[in-house]
Amino acid sequence: MGVGMGTGTGTGTARPEMTATTTPAPVTASALDSPRSLFRFLVRELRPRPPFITTFNVLSIPIVLVGLVILAIRFTQGLGSVTNLNQEFPWGFWIGFDVVSGVALAGGAYVVTFVVYVLKVERYHPIVRVTVLNGFLAYAFYAGGLVLDLGKPWNIINPIIGNSFGFNSVLFLVAWHFLLYMVAEFIEFSPAIAEWMGARRLRRFLQSITIGTVIAGFTISTLHQAGLGALFLMAKSKIHPLWYTEFMPVLFFVSSIFAGLSMVIVEGTLSHRVLKDHMDAEHGAFDKLIFGLARGAALSMFAYYFFKALIFIHEHHWDLMGDFWGNWYLLEILGLTLVPCVMFAYGIRHRSLGVVRAAAILALVGVVLNRLNISIIAFNWFVPNHYYPSWQELWITAMIITCEIWVFRFVVTRMPVLRKAPDFD
Amino acid sequence: MESYSYVNIFETKGLENLLVISFLVMLVFLIKYIGGPAKKR
Repeated sequence: MGVGMGTGTGTGTARPEMTATTTPAPVTASALDSPRSLFRFLVRELRPRPPFITTFNVLSIPIVLVGLVILAIRFTQGLGSVTNLNQEFPWGFWIGFDVVSGVALAGGAYVVTFVVYVLKVERYHPIVRVTVLNGFLAYAFYAGGLVLDLGKPWNIINPIIGNSFGFNSVLFLVAWHFLLYMVAEFIEFSPAIAEWMGARRLRRFLQSITIGTVIAGFTISTLHQAGLGALFLMAKSKIHPLWYTEFMPVLFFVSSIFAGLSMVIVEGTLSHRVLKDHMDAEHGAFDKLIFGLARGAALSMFAYYFFKALIFIHEHHWDLMGDFWGNWYLLEILGLTLVPCVMFAYGIRHRSLGVVRAAAILALVGVVLNRLNISIIAFNWFVPNHYYPSWQELWITAMIITCEIWVFRFVVTRMPVLRKAPDFD
Repeated sequence: MESYSYVNIFETKGLENLLVISFLVMLVFLIKYIGGPAKKR
């Protein structure tokens, strides 16, 4: 058994504030040395750690427990027992928010890894692991939420195993890309797991394949971000003309860039307040990186806004202005795209963190609203009895987000995500 | 002699071309604006 594993602090789990009283033992052996050492390592690391009574725990445990009951009803009684889905609205909140919006918000991972590993902008290196972890968890939970929405969830494996591949379907591309991208993100994050387990040789191997994985992941990611938009191309007669365009794949891709960067800003700000005990000085200097991330967000938003304006003019949509849908469209385009873009630019120029953070939140709201407009709100907008999500659908979404935060907290409090691992510098 | 014909940019690609040109011009200004030195508040 490794020396580090017998110290009680773990090989890679020494927190900065703990180092003042307990010096982490050097890693001389790996948890992978023998099955017994691995078992003991996992038992110790998987054990919950205090404090147990926290505001988040008190709120999240009932959310998950009630959510499990709803899921049990959903899988025994069918989709109709807990959702408001019907033949006119077969895709509801779980697809519109969890999958279509959630995947856009996870776009920060491919942007940041591309900037760091391909463009070699090293100053963003400290946020790579946490961004990739967020991206991976978002895909695992939100895309995993897709299983809940399938009438026959066991058929989700069909596009993978070849039982009716469906080559002509965009869903075939999206299914394979989701799977491959999750594998790519896991490999990109896996050096942190190797460091956590003290596995030096494994970590060396995993680091050697990182650049190839990043390039593959980036390629796959750009394609399936656009592919999500392509899913809606066949619904021309159902989506309001202000939102339907043959350029939806391009818009989905461009919006995923600033959605992902905005998410990195918001998530980084939150985690640097909540998890500051688990950070070292290098990772704690997140504020210095925010303006660089905001620059990328501002430029991509600017391009996105002009794309939208160009499509609006090209499609001759002037006549669609003036009613509720016209005003709703303007709210999304002016209020939640142009305004945050200007706020980003102002915040960068005046070095105002508050303005940049507010812009990031507005941008996130704008992207989510855009995705919900296309998939739910402006979908079948002419139908008298429009779809509204049931409270159970909202509850399950809250449960998915809660579970993701649980796993995120588990990982960053144990693995070297927001700090460097001792002996692995 | 040919008579004068009014070209309505709302019915042609004119407006789209103007928009693209204005985008490129404004993009230069935006890059200069956000890349410039910080302004004191």
